[in-house]
Amino acid sequence: MTYLATFHWGWLLASLLLGLAMGWIAVVHRGQSVSKVTVRWLAGLAAALVAAALAHVLPGRPGYWLDLGLIMFALYLTGCAAGSWLRDRALSRHRG
Amino acid sequence: MHGLFRWSSKWWPGTIPLAFVWAIAAWINTSPLEADLAARSNAALKASVLDKPRMAVAGRDVTLAADAFSEEGRRSAVASVEAVPGVRLVNDQTRLVPEAKPFVWSAERDVARVTLGGSAPLPASRNRLLEAGRAGLGGVEVVDRMILSRGAPPRFDNAALLLLDQIGKLKDGKVTISDNKVSLSGMARDLGGREAIAAALKNLPEGFSVAANEVKAPPYVFQAYKDPVAVTVTLTGYVPDNNVHAAIAATAGRKFFKEKVVDNLKASVGAPSGFANAVVPALGALARLSTGTLVVSDREVRLSGDALYEAAAVQIRAGLGRDFPQGWQFIPEISVRPPAAPVDATVCQQLLADLLAKAKIRFESGRATIDPDSIGLLDRLVETAMRCPTVHIEIAGHTDAEGEAAFNQALSEKRAQAVMEYLVKAGLPANRFTPIGYGSTQPLAGNDTDEGRAQNRRIDFVVRKSE
Repeated sequence: MTYLATFHWGWLLASLLLGLAMGWIAVVHRGQSVSKVTVRWLAGLAAALVAAALAHVLPGRPGYWLDLGLIMFALYLTGCAAGSWLRDRALSRHRG
Repeated sequence: MHGLFRWSSKWWPGTIPLAFVWAIAAWINTSPLEADLAARSNAALKASVLDKPRMAVAGRDVTLAADAFSEEGRRSAVASVEAVPGVRLVNDQTRLVPEAKPFVWSAERDVARVTLGGSAPLPASRNRLLEAGRAGLGGVEVVDRMILSRGAPPRFDNAALLLLDQIGKLKDGKVTISDNKVSLSGMARDLGGREAIAAALKNLPEGFSVAANEVKAPPYVFQAYKDPVAVTVTLTGYVPDNNVHAAIAATAGRKFFKEKVVDNLKASVGAPSGFANAVVPALGALARLSTGTLVVSDREVRLSGDALYEAAAVQIRAGLGRDFPQGWQFIPEISVRPPAAPVDATVCQQLLADLLAKAKIRFESGRATIDPDSIGLLDRLVETAMRCPTVHIEIAGHTDAEGEAAFNQALSEKRAQAVMEYLVKAGLPANRFTPIGYGSTQPLAGNDTDEGRAQNRRIDFVVRKSE
């Protein structure tokens, strides 16, 4: 993991920033939301992919790509959460 | 917390650019990542002793194929690659080097090439053997046909290096280690090489033994060539030591009274036993030939050339082998020189006197037994006497004045008689010769010095015109 982080730090940072931006927008965005059922399905899919990565199910290059994708996705989600929280705080201060 | 769930339902649009970023990252990074992992894995394998290591990296997975020399080495090699940061898993395709039973290693030499074959236990010892071969055999091509195998006996390297050293002493041949048995065959480069190899084999490492040492020595050759044109006798080849050398040179000087002895002999070990006892009579036989070559090769004596007359040829063919020590073989190739043209009495006397001026017929001290060193001279006297068949020859024996006159008289008569018997045995008719003893009554020089007395002890041939 450390090796992957040091080797791809630029790409991971890009994912994090992308997440921050998406999270920042999502708070005030009026677009379509994903239904709760779909969220469950997606969460299940993500869990299955994590399990596959940990179990080394995919061999060789696909395995590497899966690891890389999951780490980027995790950082994206982290970025989204941080971005939404920051936007929310900023808005509430503004209202207050 | 509730807000986070609400917001998260709107995060999905970002996954589309994220997927692009992911695809580009995977596209760009896969090859550098694989190269980096391959370099690190190779570095991690440096300490492991493996044969034919092959590595393939796909993503973060390393496929390692190699031949290891022990189960422990195999496991530690795999573990060291697994420990490389970033490597996800190692596909272990390593195996053990096959075990050789028996463990055979060999070095074979033809004239200009040494081929190392069989099994070596480790790459390091294989390289060590190759380098030792190249360094120790200066200029000889060293060909590596070794494979790597397990199962070498302990101290194999030392034994192989010692044997490789011996290969340098061979002209051609083969050394083999089979488990802990050593065998050698071939031809030593020099006389004494066989002995040197046998001595070196005593230093084989503990546990090794010599199963067969069939190294042959090159033939021990002694040659003498009698050249009637240059009037020389050339001695070449080997003699066992300086004492034998001196003895042979002295013998040659006495036996070849006419010829100059050219001595090119070298001393060397490895002579067959009884060497001097065979070479000395063989030189005596060569002295009886008008032209001839004596080749002594190990225990085989080959004498070829022309005898001066038929009886001499018969005597040499039949007689020489009997003088040899046991185990020696005599191969005569003796022909007879065609008789020379007859001469008249005056020339006959001149020829006989010339011969006797060059050398004297010698006898054992105080007795009438002809010294074998004088046979060559006698054969020439016989040959000359045969050229003047019509003359009568008086064989005159003389002594010095030492001792009693009666004894000297009798001795001179007996010696003259002995010479005549030799001539008759050679095929000359007895009635052409008269042996006469003069005792010390006809001295050539004063009897008060050694030289004078030596001059006075003699046999003269006096030609009387035939009646």
